[in-house]
Amino acid sequence: MRGQRVLVSGMGGELGSLVASLLEAEPWVGSILGIDIDPPRRRLHRSEFHLIDPRDRPRIVDLVARFDPHVLVHLAVWEPDARAGTNLAKRLTCDSATSIISAAAECPSLQAIVVRSGIEIYGRGRGALTRPDEDAPTHPTSEYGRMVAAIETTAHSVGSRVGVAVSALRLAPVLGPHVPSPLGRALRQPVVPFSMMADSAFAVTIDSDAARAFVAAAEQRPQGPLNVVAPGAITTLQAIWRGRRLPLPLFGPEWRFARHVSHVLGAPLPEHVMELIHRGRLADGSRLTSTLGIKPQVTTQQAIDRLFAWEAIVRIPSSQAA
Amino acid sequence: MGAVIRLPRTWFEPDPVDEWGRDARLIELLTPAARLRWDVSVGGVNHLPKRGGALLVTNSRRFSLSAIYAAWALSDALGRPVRFGGRPDIAPIGPLMQRLGGLLNKPEEIRSALRDGELVVVSTRGTRNPRHAGPVDPGLIATAVVTGTPVFPVASMSSPMGRAARVEVGPQIRPQRKRRGSLAELELAEIAQRHIQRLLDGLGGMHTGVTPVDWLAEG
Repeated sequence: MRGQRVLVSGMGGELGSLVASLLEAEPWVGSILGIDIDPPRRRLHRSEFHLIDPRDRPRIVDLVARFDPHVLVHLAVWEPDARAGTNLAKRLTCDSATSIISAAAECPSLQAIVVRSGIEIYGRGRGALTRPDEDAPTHPTSEYGRMVAAIETTAHSVGSRVGVAVSALRLAPVLGPHVPSPLGRALRQPVVPFSMMADSAFAVTIDSDAARAFVAAAEQRPQGPLNVVAPGAITTLQAIWRGRRLPLPLFGPEWRFARHVSHVLGAPLPEHVMELIHRGRLADGSRLTSTLGIKPQVTTQQAIDRLFAWEAIVRIPSSQAA
Repeated sequence: MGAVIRLPRTWFEPDPVDEWGRDARLIELLTPAARLRWDVSVGGVNHLPKRGGALLVTNSRRFSLSAIYAAWALSDALGRPVRFGGRPDIAPIGPLMQRLGGLLNKPEEIRSALRDGELVVVSTRGTRNPRHAGPVDPGLIATAVVTGTPVFPVASMSSPMGRAARVEVGPQIRPQRKRRGSLAELELAEIAQRHIQRLLDGLGGMHTGVTPVDWLAEG
């Protein structure tokens, strides 16, 4: 299986750049093509990158058709309030999914589609399972959950029409030193609000583990969804204590005010993060190990500890920068 | 700016919750308070597996919280987490019970925990008489059948007035005949109810030393 062509959409993001750099080291990968609205976050040696707006469908179709990928790794997903506000994130995610997955479906060599999804897809409505596995029904209850559900639907409908394997990696909230995460931003504030009424448990995943999962999925091409969740769990209050932040207990109506203040201070709390704080967010990630043979290396507690240890600004002396 | 305000770590050493949201430290903190309410003696723990999952079915008198104190006492006796089914999903009780090891009483949730190798206590339908075992929900038994997990009967008895409580685990329930379909859980549920009733009969009534109280406890 040497010389495989891999198309990575969303290569400009931290996760996309990380996946591309791992793919470059894989012996089965021949060439890599990347598409995104932003340039890659790290130096890539073998990858070819194209800066394209997701709405520019003719250009995307032309480029993808010429590349004729064997595998599409679709990472062009904008988490609300990570790099863009909710409405813009929704539009960019929808446009990217439609144009890139549709363009890849026209390629005769295409064998598999791997899409980024999230455990927000299970929803946290009343009576929702505490720790859903991949067989659990999906009832998204946040905008981000509905966005990733739409991506999975698009990928599955295209995959079944052209007869290729479709796998969806449902990521827990991704944290990383350079990953724009609304949850990470909120927890790193000096004063962090938490729900006094329901300090529920949640799990996260670190960007390197998520990237390894995408590379393994691109190589092994499993069919169906897989949860990517770091072992362990933590509650918001425990995370606040671990970071030695000041916890701000909130009960109900004052959350609206707290959200506005947090937004003004540069850490907006989108709907899915509010849901996580109030209702928790866990998922069973054991199938990832049994299917792909990989296990997340960093636990949720370690990821939270690292979140507080990462420097806000890394100062590089001018001599070193040159 | 986060570095400006930093609380000393010694103020509170946070122990994280486990993958199901159970908080061992909170349970440890609340154990003395629970002991004020229940003084539980446990028997038959040698029947339970040291490793791997098991479904424990206990009788339930209304408002007795038998699944909670049974899970608590068994966890203490075994030295491993024992979860219980039947937590509500309404704040603040639901999240608090999740921290104490509670699971939703949904077959999917119980099945997932059993597949994960957990010990889970579920209740029979509540009765008014503490010495009567109510019917067992075959849907919950099906979770054990599907995951190939052993089922154990657990008789629990407590008094609404006194502290004395008893939790007795019986030997594994085995089906009389191998079934391919849903008859397996229907039959196993009936056998479980009979086993729990036998255990309850063996325990006798509550003996608090105050006869009227014992009569009241009989429901």
